[in-house]
Amino acid sequence: MEATEIIELNNEKRTRLTEHNLKYYEDMLLYIRLNGNKSEQQTEEVLLEMLEHLLQAQEEGKTAEEVFGDDPKAYCKEVVEEIPTEKRKNQASLIMMVILQFLGFFAGSYGILGTALHYFFDIGSALTTFSIGSGLVILGIDLLLLGAFILAILKWIKQSTFSKKEIKSWVEFLQVWAISTAFIGLIVVIHFVMPSFGKEVSIPTYYLAILGVIFYVLSFLMRRKQNF
Amino acid sequence: MLNKVVIILTSILLYKVGGKLSLRSQLLKGILEGCILSIINIQPAYGYELSVKLQQFGLSDVSEGSIYPILLRLQKEKLIIGEMRASESGPKRKYYKLTEKGQEALQLFTHHWTLIKGPVDNIIEQGGKTDGSN
Repeated sequence: MEATEIIELNNEKRTRLTEHNLKYYEDMLLYIRLNGNKSEQQTEEVLLEMLEHLLQAQEEGKTAEEVFGDDPKAYCKEVVEEIPTEKRKNQASLIMMVILQFLGFFAGSYGILGTALHYFFDIGSALTTFSIGSGLVILGIDLLLLGAFILAILKWIKQSTFSKKEIKSWVEFLQVWAISTAFIGLIVVIHFVMPSFGKEVSIPTYYLAILGVIFYVLSFLMRRKQNF
Repeated sequence: MLNKVVIILTSILLYKVGGKLSLRSQLLKGILEGCILSIINIQPAYGYELSVKLQQFGLSDVSEGSIYPILLRLQKEKLIIGEMRASESGPKRKYYKLTEKGQEALQLFTHHWTLIKGPVDNIIEQGGKTDGSN
């Protein structure tokens, strides 16, 4: 069975848990899933096994604590430690897919917006001018920032699991907002601060729109093929 | 005193010592591994079934969930393989069976265990007496 099928099965079966057990299980689910370099297949298989175990125990009147112990975080650490790492090939294609999607989104929206502004409202030029050297450096830094942003968000979700006290939702919102703002802010700052160097080229802005769409379609095809 | 020495020797014999876990849980894990291997050897089983069998054999002190890290490790070491298939009662379950390497590991475990079991029992039984008189 593919990982995606197992995830669907898990989503469906999880609804049968009692409120208490669901809270306990979902914290474990988040904690165990948020380990980027672990085999997705093995992760989902063991998560489903644990869920089925809990469901059966629940029928016998047992609670999640009785099955998995009073310290779910320590237990999850033990589980995660034993899950084999994801194959290099799968890791590489996941990273590639995220990059394509990111580039597709930015090139696409910039291309479409720029072209529309020019033709419909006569704002800006139909050409986009950039320096090859500094352009590539900015792109590289943006991708590194994207990686850091994703890791920061994953870490943020992970620390929010198993918390005894309920954190107010506005505090959570503020935390995520701060991380996102720092990410977007840095991208904008680097774009303005970086001195231009290298050969200057001009291309029609709608080329970027086309490029964006191509990137997006490619990432979509990769996703279907890889079953991410 | 003597009990402690034997327990420490047992753990060195059965497990890779030096992990992050306490000696006690190392010891327990190694024994659990052996028990799981021998239950699966008799008949392929899925997670819940396994934990029920362990409890039926009297290992009720072991928390049910503790089999999953062990099952993962045994798979990683290629001693067992899991296969998703439909169970008699309906839903698909992951059934585990022993590999050839698993059979060998089980034999080794059984061998070590029979060597250690008798002496440990004797020592624990006579421990109280030897403390005072010997």
